[in-house]
This record gives sequence, structure tokens and C-alpha cells, in this order.
Amino acid sequence: MGILLATRADPATRGAAKTEAYLTQPMAWMQGTGNWLRGIIHVRATLNLEGFTLEQGELAPGMYGEGYIDRRHPHTFVHELMLSLEQAVGPLRWSVAAGKGFAPFGSDDPMSRPFVKYPINHHLAQILERAIAVVAVRIGPLALEGARFNGDEPEGPYDWPNRSRIGDSWSIRGTAWLRPGTELTASTARVASPEDAGGYGLDHRQSHLALRLGTEGSTGANPYLLVEGARTDMFGDGRLAFRFNSLLAEASAALGSVTGAVRFERTTRPDEQRLADVFRSPRPLLDFGIEGRSRWDAVSIALSSRASIGMRATLEPFGEVQFSRVRPTIRPTVFEPRDFYGSDRLWLASVGIRAGVPHGHRRVGRYGVARP
Amino acid sequence: MRHGTRPGRSIRTRDGRSGTTAHLMWAADRFVTRLRPLSLGGALVLSLARCDSADLTEPAPLEPGPTVPGQLTVAGLGAVPDRYTAEVWVVGTHAYTSTWGRRGPAQTPGNMLYIWDVTVAAPRLVDSLLVDSSASTLGDVQASDDGRLLVVPTELDPGSIVIFDLADPVRPRLLARYRSPAITRGVHTCELARVNGVLYAFLSVNRGSSHASRLIVVNLSDPAQPRSVLERDMGEPFIHDVFVRDGILFTALWDGGTNIWDLGGAGRGGSVANPILLGNVRTVAGNAHNVWWYRDGRTGQHRYAFVGEEGPASTGASSSGDVHVVDVTDLTNPREVAVFGVPGAGTHNFTVDEARGILYAAYYNGGVQALDVRGDLGSCTVAQQRSDSRCDLTLMGRLLATGLLDQNKPVFVWGVHFSGDALYASDMLNGLWKLTPISR
Repeated sequence: MGILLATRADPATRGAAKTEAYLTQPMAWMQGTGNWLRGIIHVRATLNLEGFTLEQGELAPGMYGEGYIDRRHPHTFVHELMLSLEQAVGPLRWSVAAGKGFAPFGSDDPMSRPFVKYPINHHLAQILERAIAVVAVRIGPLALEGARFNGDEPEGPYDWPNRSRIGDSWSIRGTAWLRPGTELTASTARVASPEDAGGYGLDHRQSHLALRLGTEGSTGANPYLLVEGARTDMFGDGRLAFRFNSLLAEASAALGSVTGAVRFERTTRPDEQRLADVFRSPRPLLDFGIEGRSRWDAVSIALSSRASIGMRATLEPFGEVQFSRVRPTIRPTVFEPRDFYGSDRLWLASVGIRAGVPHGHRRVGRYGVARP
Repeated sequence: MRHGTRPGRSIRTRDGRSGTTAHLMWAADRFVTRLRPLSLGGALVLSLARCDSADLTEPAPLEPGPTVPGQLTVAGLGAVPDRYTAEVWVVGTHAYTSTWGRRGPAQTPGNMLYIWDVTVAAPRLVDSLLVDSSASTLGDVQASDDGRLLVVPTELDPGSIVIFDLADPVRPRLLARYRSPAITRGVHTCELARVNGVLYAFLSVNRGSSHASRLIVVNLSDPAQPRSVLERDMGEPFIHDVFVRDGILFTALWDGGTNIWDLGGAGRGGSVANPILLGNVRTVAGNAHNVWWYRDGRTGQHRYAFVGEEGPASTGASSSGDVHVVDVTDLTNPREVAVFGVPGAGTHNFTVDEARGILYAAYYNGGVQALDVRGDLGSCTVAQQRSDSRCDLTLMGRLLATGLLDQNKPVFVWGVHFSGDALYASDMLNGLWKLTPISR
């Protein structure tokens, strides 16, 4: 699948608008299931080609991470490559999974959610593209996942987890399916120096709580609701240095082939030093300070219409609008949003066509018996 | 505006938000509020509300320490409103300040060197010099001990040092620009020092995508033709600064602590081109940022080195990190014996009035802190110790004065320079301050 996208940020920097177009989220995936050792073996692989199409990043005011600011970074080519084995002992089902993929933390990959544009809180609410081993147990409507993984986040599309960092971080996620289509999750993670591959950076202690409503149908969950809160505390030498929070609610509903969605988000982010390309920040880091901290209040709406082309493909024209207001939460600050953007009120409009396959919106980021 | 997530308790926004955004947010809040009838969902939303309200907390203000004997007297301010001020160096009647980052609606880069007349109470700007149009930061500036050369490092890509002739102190003349394939992401600091009578520049080079952080030493015997005599990778993860005196080199290696090297002064066979490692000390919490090897003006002893720790900071607002006192009586076995800290603020660069035994530390939002560093810093009563047995200079009554905290405006002091009859402080937010140093 892939998305032809035209997007306009107004203002993008210093009062000037910027309009760009890309092929975003170009992906291919495969999965298979079989029986082995009296259990179920499952393999999942997702190839992400944004390294070819999105090297400069995708305009996304407020987003940050992996050396990009106000742009979404491209993901690594091997987005997921996970092998899991599931077995059952009486009412208890358990699984082990290993490979490269999502840590059991937070909410679903934004790529599998109603909006094309990522929320600002991506790095507060998901931990992905790590070399990981996950153990999960499930009894009835309750599941518990625990994982060890490498803390270092990717430094580019071609990057792989650092061998020396494997297993230096962990996460735990508990899930309760209160009734079909109603899911409550709580998770916590200790991520060692994600922003410095050498392991010298600040350590993150992350927590996340979410309620998700929606039963998967042929085109995803309809209706769908997600309410989540996330917090990341950054520690240096055991001392709390910075705290960032996020509160997000998004919902969608389809009527016939038309789907509408709305998202509200309040997220604080670190404002990092910028390079000559103002959408990039230094990697590797030059020091471990920040230039400020800003709060982003964003409201987004989206409308899309799905059409099937034969049995094997779908086309989905869509439009999205996001309005954000940004202000510093700490003063004095080196990063003054009004100075940098030319305004503290930012608009982002996007139109495009999502090309995919039926069932392309299946949930992503859970393995083994933790899959819904 | 009131948020409706918690009956009977409002989360008040700070800016009196109104208009379209406010209505959209109000609608979103109402949307969230309607989830409350779901029992677990209600608990979740309440938790989220708490989570968000916590975000309204501003960073802790600078905490007052124990009684401070005095305030350093401010003579005047030379204001720099259009760029962030970085380091300061003074030669005779003129001061030079470098600049950092990007500031204001024009995002004016830190590529300018300012030249000041400091014969008056408030430093007077007499000229400015565009050092490198492609640079965004000039994080350091230093003159040679004879006052004839001025050297400025540039960041980021690719980075260099720029060497000026100070024959006319108001109009530095470009002599040379030293670049190297071994420098790809800037020179963070540059210290000038003489070893065996030869002037060298010690460059702390940022790590790049393809190379580690490294120390480069450049021979400035012919300043128009600088040449490298040493390139050595070091630091965990980087080298940040050095201090050179009497043929001994101290390197601040962040989490790698502080290394002490023989450049010939220790008689261990070292040289500038081939430093021999003598010892290492990993001060508490790491982040070894800068060093000053102190020579007591009365006794001539070199017993202590002061290591600055730079902890996480939000530039302009908050900072962290202590001054660590290392006993280097035995250069091969240095050990930390004392510490000085200011709750809510962190140290940056130092200058020392060695004749009077006073260390002035730039302390970012903590202004300037003046410490008595004469005598024995490693012996103290139990009551003057921290829990890890290090002596606490504050509890020992070593804090003599603070500076710039009485100016009724935020300060963020990057550097300090003691010139003999005055103390200068470069303040990122405001410019160049001139203060009256402590006399005793």
C-alpha cells in the first residue's frame, strides 16, 4: 500500500507556508501462520520504503523525533520482522515472539489508525523498530506482555538496532478486553538512552494508559474511539531532567463508504537545537540539553471515501485539516514559537489517495496471544 | 476557561485562551467528559486529567541556598538583544564575546563576534565581526597569553577555527582559517596554551556521523599557517574542553571523566604530539564539561582541579550540574574530595582569581557564584559532608557571593572572565555584564 499525499503547512516557518507532495507510507507486508511444536507459529514482516520516498521527512508541525522536527521521520526499511510461537496450557495461552518490531507499550501504530497524519505524541505513545523479545500470557479477557529490547532509536532508514544495546530496555503492557470491542491498556517502559545510540543520553521512563472502543470489521473498527494519556520522564544520572505529557482522543465512524474522523491532542514536546535545515536536529547529539518545551493543542478532522477496485485493491481519497496552537511552557525560552513560525496558530491541510488492499487497516504492534 | 474533566476542580489555562481554538478544545473536553459514565473509562479520563494538569507545572524556581555573605556589585551591562551571547574573553581594554544559536523572528544566527570597550562601567560595543556566514554558533573565544592572537571556533558543519591578529584590538584581522577532514560537525571549544614556549590551539571536535569526537592540537607558531600535530579520538561520548598548564593537559571527557596527560611537564616522556596518560577521575554524575587546574597564589601549590559538570538544561530557563573538586596532588591518582552545587541551577565555565583564591563560576540561571578555594578543601566536619562523604563547599561556608541574581531579570550566564581589576560575565539572554570582583 501507499499514500499519494499533498500537504500544506501554513505557516511552516517564519510566517511562510510550505506545500509539498510525496508518496508516504509505501509498504508491503506478509504474514503467515502454521503449526509447530503443537503450537501456532506466526510470522509477520513489514517492509517500509519511506527511506526512498520521504528522506526529507513529511511536513507535520509539532512532530519530532529521530533527528526531525516539525516533520515526521521516515521509518526503517525493515519496519517489522517478527516470529511468534503460541501455545496453550488449559485456560492459559502464552506466546514468545522475537525479531524486530514494536515494544509492548502504548497504542497502535498511527499508520493503522484513521488519520494519515501522525499525532504529535508518536514518540510518547509508541516504541517501535527495536530488536525485541516478547513474552505474553493471556487468560480469558486479560493479557500481559513483557519485553526486552534495545533502547536506541533508529538514526535513519538504513539503521539497525545496535548490537551492544540489545536488551538494555524493557516494557510491560497489560490489556483487559472488558467486552468485545472495548479494550483498556496500561503500560510502562524503561528505555535506555533512546536518542543517543552510544547509550550516553537521557534515559526515558514512559507510562501510558488507553481506552479503545471498536470492533474490527472488514475495513477496520467502525465506530472507533481511542482515548490515551502518555508521559515520558527523562532522567540523567538518575535525576529527573524533563517531563513530557500527552492527552489524545480520536474517533471515527463510517457511513456507507464515507468515513469521518476527529482528533484532539494536547502534547508537550522538547524543542531541540535545529540545524541549517531547520527541520532537522543534530544526531548524534552534541549535548543533552533542550532549547525549550512547548505545548501543542491540536484539533484534526478527516474525511475519506473508500472504493474497491476488484477484489484485490482499494482506493481511498481523503482530506485532513489540522489546527494547532503552540506556546512555550517554560520561560525564558530559546525556542519562541511565534518567532520561529511567525505565529502560534498553525494550519495543516492534506489531501491525497490511499491505495491499499482489503483489510489493510488491521491493527499493528502486537504479537502472539496479545493480538486482539 | 474551565475544563470539565473533574467536577468541582478546574484546570486553569495560563493564557486565558479564547476564540475558535477554545471552543474546539471545549468541545473536545466535553467529548472526553461524556466518557465518564463508563466506570473504567471515567477512571482513565480522570487519570489523564491528572496527567495533563501535571504538565501545567513550571520548573522549580531557583532555590535559595544558605545565607550568602554578599552580592557582587554590578558596574554595568552591554546589551545584546539580537543574538544569544556565548563566551567572553578580555584583553586589556577590550572584551570579545561570541554568539550562539538562532534568536528572534529573524532567527539571527550566532556567527558574530562582538568587540567591546571595557574601560567604562557599562561595556560599550565598538564593532562586530562576521566570523563565518555559514556558522550558527561560535561557542568559544580566547586570546593568546601575549594578547596578539584571537581564536574563535565555529559550529556546526563543517566547522573550523578562525585565527585573528589583534594588532588593532578593535579590528581583528583575519590571519587564517583552520579546517580539516577530521572536523565535520564543528569545533565545540578551543583553548590556547603554550607548551615549551610554543603556542598551540587545543580543539575539542564534535563527533560526526562518521567519526568519534576527538582532540586536535594545532601548532600556531606561524598563525597564518596553522598545522595539526595531534588528532586523537576521545570522550564518552565526546571531549568537551581542556585545560593546559605547565606541560600538563586535562581533558574533560563527559561520562569518561577527566583525564590527565603528560605533555612534557610531568617528565613521563609525553609531548604535545604524543600525550602520555597519567590518571583519570570520574567525578560523580559524569558530564565532565570543563576543568581548571588551580594554582594557589600564596603557596604556589597545584593541589586541586575544579571540574564543571553540565547536566541537562533547558537553555535560558533551567540548568543542572555541580562544581567538583578533585585532589590532584598525585596526578596519577586523582580523587574527588568536595563538591559545590546550587539547587535549581547548574554550572558552566570558570575563571579563577588565583592571587586571592576565588573561583568565579558561571552558573546559567544561577548567575555567578564566587567560591573561596584557598586552603584545604578536602577536610571538613561530618556536618559539612554530603551523604557520600564528599565535603560540601556550601556547608563549609566557602560561598563568598553571588552575582546577577539581583537584576530583576532572568539571566543565563555562559562564561566569566577575571581580568585583574574586573569580572566579566557573558549572559546568553542579556549580553556582557561588568562586575566588581571580590577583594581580600
